[in-house]
Amino acid sequence: MEHIRNHRSVYAYAALFLVLVFAVAMPVGLAWAEDAPAGAATEYRDIPGMGSRNLIWIVAQQHLLLAGFVLGVPIFAWVCEIVGVRTGDQRYDKLAKEFTKLLTSSYATTALFGGILLFLLIGLYPKLMNYLSDVFFPSFLVYCALFLLETATLYLYWYGWDSMQGSKKGLHLFLGFLLNVFAFFIMIVPNSWATFQASPVVIAEGSMWARAWAATWNPTWWPVNIHRLIANVVLGGYICGAYAGLKYLMAQNAEERVHYDWMGYVGNFIGVFGLLPLPFAGYWLMREIYQYNQQMGITLMGGFLSWLFILQAMLIGILFVGSNYYFWLGIMHRIPGSEARYRRPILAMLVILLVCLGVWMTPHSLVASLEEARKMGGTHHPLLGVFGVMSAKMTVSNLMILVTFMSFIMYWRAGKEETARWAKVAKAGQGVLLGIAVVVVVVLGVWGYFVPAITRINYFSTTQVLVVLFVLLTVTPLTGLLMKSARTTTEMVWGVMPGRAGYVLVLNAVMVILLMTLMGYARSSSRVHWHVYGVMQDTSQYAYSPALGYAAAIMALNTFLFCLLVAFIFWVASMGGEKKGGPTDTAHTKAKDAASPAVGSAPAASTGHQ
Amino acid sequence: MTEVQLLQTIGMSVIGVGGAILLFVKARFVRVMAFVAMVLGAFSLVALSVPQMASMPPAVEKIDVASIKEKKELAAIGQKIFFSKGQCALCHTIGSSEGRCPDLKGVGSKLTREFIYESLTQPQAYVYMDYEHEGRAKFFPAKMPHINKKPIGLNNNEILAVIAFLQSMSGEEVTINLSELATPSSASSEGRKAL
Repeated sequence: MEHIRNHRSVYAYAALFLVLVFAVAMPVGLAWAEDAPAGAATEYRDIPGMGSRNLIWIVAQQHLLLAGFVLGVPIFAWVCEIVGVRTGDQRYDKLAKEFTKLLTSSYATTALFGGILLFLLIGLYPKLMNYLSDVFFPSFLVYCALFLLETATLYLYWYGWDSMQGSKKGLHLFLGFLLNVFAFFIMIVPNSWATFQASPVVIAEGSMWARAWAATWNPTWWPVNIHRLIANVVLGGYICGAYAGLKYLMAQNAEERVHYDWMGYVGNFIGVFGLLPLPFAGYWLMREIYQYNQQMGITLMGGFLSWLFILQAMLIGILFVGSNYYFWLGIMHRIPGSEARYRRPILAMLVILLVCLGVWMTPHSLVASLEEARKMGGTHHPLLGVFGVMSAKMTVSNLMILVTFMSFIMYWRAGKEETARWAKVAKAGQGVLLGIAVVVVVVLGVWGYFVPAITRINYFSTTQVLVVLFVLLTVTPLTGLLMKSARTTTEMVWGVMPGRAGYVLVLNAVMVILLMTLMGYARSSSRVHWHVYGVMQDTSQYAYSPALGYAAAIMALNTFLFCLLVAFIFWVASMGGEKKGGPTDTAHTKAKDAASPAVGSAPAASTGHQ
Repeated sequence: MTEVQLLQTIGMSVIGVGGAILLFVKARFVRVMAFVAMVLGAFSLVALSVPQMASMPPAVEKIDVASIKEKKELAAIGQKIFFSKGQCALCHTIGSSEGRCPDLKGVGSKLTREFIYESLTQPQAYVYMDYEHEGRAKFFPAKMPHINKKPIGLNNNEILAVIAFLQSMSGEEVTINLSELATPSSASSEGRKAL
């Protein structure tokens, strides 16, 4: 145990060192900041070398990622707590508590970065902040009030966990609900500031409250709210998965392996649960952007940001494949005897996913030399060019969602036998529904090539989305009903997943974080050289949007910093739990060679509800 | 070494160091962070391999009315605006049917300058489904923005220059007289009346 602690100390010191370097470097940089000529109002300040924009970029990104985590975890924890109450399985309650413990330290870190960001914005972009303060001052007050309520509720929720068990559990659940309600409002208030910058509305004369309210209700506010809400659930789930994956790899005995294997499963499950509807929310947001301003939509999808969406496709594709792969590993390793049964469908699903990913990643115009372009007859390849258009991409993204959903259902059913009399009919019905959905999605996708774009966007794509949503919303409860009365034929064995399962969980989390950084850059760059689109122009030396390669390097740096930060928070939070002997650290018996898996209901944390 | 080359070198170095850690270091946490770094390095390399386009703010090109001696100079300025500040080419094509909006080939000979001016400044005033299009009427997904308002915000001189370009590239005589251009002193009183 001693050497583990030594390792931990080294990591902690390294993380602390980074934070300190950052904290010291910032004021020094600011001391060099330039100011406006005497007599003129300062519009911008700069930090030589690093540049004010890069600093804002890094701090804002860390704050946003932490905020996503802090808002996603309460949803995750609350859902786990409810599942624990409903099923009577104490592991869910312990898992919820374990993650709520993280909230206290991560909440403070998020607020710290929020404060740093605010001071930097006021100092480096005074012109913009003056304008936004003038428009949004009332909502600043609301934001402060919400923070007070959220903090008080969080303290009650966390510190009252043990005392609010038994008959008071309902009150504790209500506190969890309140925590999420306040967290939701804490998210949507600043969303209004950011979305106003992208899609400002004409602000009529009126009281300051009326002006703030009008600016808040801008066209992209609700699409962003919904998109971020779902994305936070995804982030919370996958970070939980990554934490479990790391701890699984570092596990010292069978008990730890069992616990973290199960935790990884829950994290991945919640991540996928959020991931499936996320593209629909993204589609809605994109539609609203197009309706608000064609120019902005075109800048995103057809202008200099168009290649960004190829990268987005790559990241989402890896995330889908990674999530499916984890499900498949689970089927193969946790459910003895299922390998022979599921090998072929898994192979088929893998091929479909890879083909879909290939189509999704095909660019509309290819990078080609003049000679190559002449041979192709233009920048559009005669065959690949067909896959580069939206009709093909909408079709494959819907198919990937359906395949992932099938993996999820397959995993749910594995090792169980339905006992309900209507099971056969229900399963046949589900199969038919899934088949029809696939046919409809493909037919509309192909048909989309032969109709005007407006028809495809308004009717065909929307129908594809609705059909897939319908399948998700009907097959899930039906399978739930079937599984309620199902008989377990093969007990699930926890703690026997290969090491690569842990790495897949980490990879999935990295993909989600990268996606958030990538789309943050897209959202910000879609405003091009405007602080507030069409209203306040960026006249600083950073009024340009950097090329994708440079931006990707900053995104990678941000992702790495965030991973270090989260690791630090997890480490700090785990220090308190070590002495208490919580679920994470119950395994003090140092059975390094204890590879015996947990089967059936042998150890306390062995079998799980699928 | 260019910026892209420098970033590529950093990306490859990160992958190399990450790979070495995975091969030789046993500490799990360090291995996982090395794996994360390798993934991020690979991501950066992919992003560096696609076309590198930065979005620069439009150049502030002030038309020096006094320096324009011929109509073809005005048309040349209009061409610059068409492909830069005006952002016309983001949607419109000239001689290709692949655009999001009508192809503008020959538009200067098909439409009067008054009609073009109105189409630029009041795009919803009169909408053709598709002017002089053979076969079924064609729908376009993109709507024309007000070109004289933000975010594009061309001034009157710039709009006239674009019209001159459209006429010129259609093989028509440019009907914009240089005297119609607003000089700084007359800028406030000029405008539609120039037409």
